Amino acid sequence: MADGIATLISALGLTQETFLVFCILAVLIVGAVVVIITSRPILDIYPYLNPSARVRARKGRLFDEKQISELVETNDVEEVENYLKGIPEYADVLDEYPLDKALDVERANTYDFVARVAPKDIKDPFVVMSKKSDIDNIKSLLTAKEVGLNPDETRELLIPCGSLYDELESLADVDNVTDVVTSLDNTEYAAVLEDALPQYEDTNMILPLESALDKYYLGKLLRSSDVPSDENKQILYSYVGTQVDVANLKLIIRAKQDGLDYDAISPYILEEGYQLRDWKLKDLMESPDVTNIVSGLEGTKYAEALTDAIPVYNETGSVAVFEKALDVYSSQYSKSLASKKPLGIGPIIGYLNQKESEIKNLKIIARAKREADFPNSKIMEMLI
Amino acid sequence: MVEIGLGAALAAIGAGVAIGFAGLGSGLGQGMAAAGSVGAVAEDNDMFARGIIFSALPETQAIYGFLVAILLLVFSGLLGGNATKLTLEAGIIAIGVGASIGFAGLGSGMGQGMAAASSVGAIVEDNDMFARGIIFSALPETQAIYGFLIAILLMVFGGILA
Repeated sequence: MADGIATLISALGLTQETFLVFCILAVLIVGAVVVIITSRPILDIYPYLNPSARVRARKGRLFDEKQISELVETNDVEEVENYLKGIPEYADVLDEYPLDKALDVERANTYDFVARVAPKDIKDPFVVMSKKSDIDNIKSLLTAKEVGLNPDETRELLIPCGSLYDELESLADVDNVTDVVTSLDNTEYAAVLEDALPQYEDTNMILPLESALDKYYLGKLLRSSDVPSDENKQILYSYVGTQVDVANLKLIIRAKQDGLDYDAISPYILEEGYQLRDWKLKDLMESPDVTNIVSGLEGTKYAEALTDAIPVYNETGSVAVFEKALDVYSSQYSKSLASKKPLGIGPIIGYLNQKESEIKNLKIIARAKREADFPNSKIMEMLI
Repeated sequence: MVEIGLGAALAAIGAGVAIGFAGLGSGLGQGMAAAGSVGAVAEDNDMFARGIIFSALPETQAIYGFLVAILLLVFSGLLGGNATKLTLEAGIIAIGVGASIGFAGLGSGMGQGMAAASSVGAIVEDNDMFARGIIFSALPETQAIYGFLIAILLMVFGGILA
């Protein structure tokens, strides 16, 4: 056989050395092809491995149903606070701040953490989300100045988080809403606040300023994730887009409940929604009442969640039932997204969604425990 | 200069393929497992020992590749022998030996790395997942074992380990 191979090599006009070189080249080419093909999925997965493990570690420490039941069964808000002091995640913040503020700080810390560990490709939307605490602080500052709180009371309202905290804390000393707006002229919110300022001066209500900030936030959030080039980004876009749609829907429903028409609502709506595009939003804003909004949503993924809430709305007349239905839908949808890419963005969305729900539930429990004889069964119903 | 026959030269390529590709798969897999483990340890110090276990799992592919490469180098005469005695057929078989463990180790290492990284994430979320994580992470080891066995059989029956 050796002779046969040697004859073949000779017949091809190759020396032994040339044959060896061809063998080496063949191995190198096959190797390069294999490496290129096999490394592609690795390159997609690799950036998510460390962040996934980190968020899953924190996800594992979130409250389970048993712990939530124990919290619901506490006798008063002090017991809730003591219970939370036994949980490492909440112990530190509760040492420094009262319960509600501690929960806000914990939420802000969560978004900061996710923005810090998220892979570069998907970082932008989480960075935008982490700036929500700045927006909340500006809104608190505006509210405080509108109702005439003194500087110390104003500072109490601020969450000690976000890149603008020091600047906003110093603005607690200014006299009025207009001064707050003009003092923020070196921030990214200057343009939207100054645009809304004349409306505030006309109506003497801070709603236009608050809505301008919300619209700016949602618009920036949607734009930060609007190039879904791979599956991770598509999932992120669905997650962010659903939040924008839910915010738009809540605003429209509440506005319709207050009897506002299209012209009054449209300035506060982010037209470039996700599933609810501008024409659909226009239809909804032109609906005569809340139940027509729900029927107008037929064919969208929000219809079923809201339709189920109509009987309770008809009974109570409160749009809170729709808001809760939207929150529950948003939470369940995020949960479904979280299971789609276990070695990608899934665990990050899963953690954020569950942590957000946990903090909302803790706030509900704390609020209920401040009221005397608030039934535990009612609290359980209110939880997300 | 040491005289090397064509058979031994081909065996050298086989040895390179064996450890090269098996090491690549093992390195990628171990990198993935270690990246996940570092994330877990950053959040929970108690995960260090378990993180090390899962990060070490994809090491085996490189060990198989290394063993096969050493056997090829020794029995082809490249390490302390006569490097001219290996026949041309045995040299070509040696490339097959290297490819067998090299490519099997590459796939196995990568797969094991992904499974191990995912298991570390599952364990740091829920401690009870440890045993199940080990089982799932061990599954992709089988491909490397198949490759290793075939490499040994090729060496035995191909006249290299004669």
